Amino acid sequence: MRRMTVGVLLALSLGGVTAAHRLDEYLQAALIGVTRDSTEVEIQLTPGVAMLPVLMAVIDQDRDGRISSEEERAYIARVAREVELQVDGVPAPLSLIESKFPAIEAMREGLGTIRMKLRTARSGHELRFENRHLPQVSAYLVNCLAAPSDGLVVRRQKRDQAQRSIEFEYSFGASAVPGPRAAWIALGPFWPAAIGMLLVARMAVLIYRAKHDKIAPKTSKLDTRVAL
Amino acid sequence: MVKTNLLRTSRTTFLAAVLCCGLAPAQSSLSVASKIVASANSFLTSLDDGQRSKVLFEFNDVAQRMKWSNLPVTMAPRAGLKMGDLSGPQRKAAMELLASMLSQRGYEKVLAIVEGDEALRVASGGRGSMFGRDLFFISILGKPSVKDPWMLQFGGHHLALNITIVGHDGILTPSLTAAQPAKYTVDGKTVRPLGAENDKAFALVNALDEEQRKQAILNYKVADLVLGPGQDGKTIQPEGIKCSAMNASQQAMLLDLIGEWAGIVHEQAAAARMAEIKAHLPETWFAWSGPTTNGMPAYYRIQGPTVVIEYAPQPLGGDPTMHIHTIYRDPTNDYGKKSVARRVP
Repeated sequence: MRRMTVGVLLALSLGGVTAAHRLDEYLQAALIGVTRDSTEVEIQLTPGVAMLPVLMAVIDQDRDGRISSEEERAYIARVAREVELQVDGVPAPLSLIESKFPAIEAMREGLGTIRMKLRTARSGHELRFENRHLPQVSAYLVNCLAAPSDGLVVRRQKRDQAQRSIEFEYSFGASAVPGPRAAWIALGPFWPAAIGMLLVARMAVLIYRAKHDKIAPKTSKLDTRVAL
Repeated sequence: MVKTNLLRTSRTTFLAAVLCCGLAPAQSSLSVASKIVASANSFLTSLDDGQRSKVLFEFNDVAQRMKWSNLPVTMAPRAGLKMGDLSGPQRKAAMELLASMLSQRGYEKVLAIVEGDEALRVASGGRGSMFGRDLFFISILGKPSVKDPWMLQFGGHHLALNITIVGHDGILTPSLTAAQPAKYTVDGKTVRPLGAENDKAFALVNALDEEQRKQAILNYKVADLVLGPGQDGKTIQPEGIKCSAMNASQQAMLLDLIGEWAGIVHEQAAAARMAEIKAHLPETWFAWSGPTTNGMPAYYRIQGPTVVIEYAPQPLGGDPTMHIHTIYRDPTNDYGKKSVARRVP
């Protein structure tokens, strides 16, 4: 109710400015990218015009009206703590790869977006992500990125009503671009034939040697090793 | 002898028919491409040197290419020439260029969006620094040509058209159409710039049976566009109901809905684009979030191998049904990358 009142009052006071863009919500959009050996989470945080004072109360710890580098880092660390990723039911620790803060002027106009990218070296078959950062004032989006070139197949996407959390199952199908590991696995059906051919070759060598030994004078083991 | 003559005649007729069949589309393509280039050159000729240097960019100017937004130009500055800075004849030439690249209904849609922003300016008390038909920008990337790729950008608040021309191809992705107010009156006539996008979608979701709706309607709220401005090159996992699970009538309704975006560009390019989308229709998804009663705010997404469309009412500035954002993308051909790659070795 209070949020709505703030929004309406600001809408009345700012007129056209508020008509143009986000007002009283903190939009938190997460995109999750999974690969065979890692998971990345890209988070974009866009405070509405009316949200900046609320956000500044969280970020601007020394209350000087500015956001220092230390305050940026502290805020990013807080967001990172308040999101959780689980891979195959086990919490996967996320490391910060990069982050970018907009100018405070841009945020005052409701068009500044804080961007951060987190990564874990974990991948699996089931993923769950939850964002618990500032739920009272936020609207959420969360999606899994498609990666058709990697053969990614995602099933059973489930979200809560507010999109604070998502869970899904995933696998990498046959259409995956073959990497070194994939090429190795791709040889699978041919292994019996390959082993058979090696055995035949080995047998041929042994038979040849047996015949050769009967005809030719014997050589020492040492000589044979050298000759080989 | 008679037989030989007949054969010769029929061969000539056959060759003529083949040539006609083969050349007719090419001539038609050429004439559309030629008309667009002629309109572009007329516009450029109408400008002075200073204006020309402001409107022209390199075709591969990535920074300029990505300089589009739903936001007012005072908040997200655009480059190029501002319509309000053009003389009457220059402005007319600019709009004629735009019209040559769009279908009749596409052009009318664009005008309705622009005039909607003018209505917003008036409703805001006419202070006018943030909204209005004078605050739309035009820019040209590359040299207008029937052969080489080039691009026209036209946009401002709630509108971003990125039209890449590659020969007879006209690629409109990525483009953003939006409206606020989504309904206004001009001379007593009601204008709804995105009215068809709204009504056709509600008709489609209501044409689904109960089982289909269970698949199509998402159980969560979608607060905004997922793949809006700044999200180039990204694709998300599709959700909702797959078109292969729809009957022929429902599929036709979905195609008709897609046509509201794909049909903005000129008819010839639109026909090719619709054929491409239709070929992938069984792999196309339709997802819905929100109530299914027309007049209520609801989000929807159409996603296929070569198309992403999102329609998102905005809970800002009052009634969400009066403030709509939409995005139109082709994950394989945004900014004409596929068409350009085919063209340029």
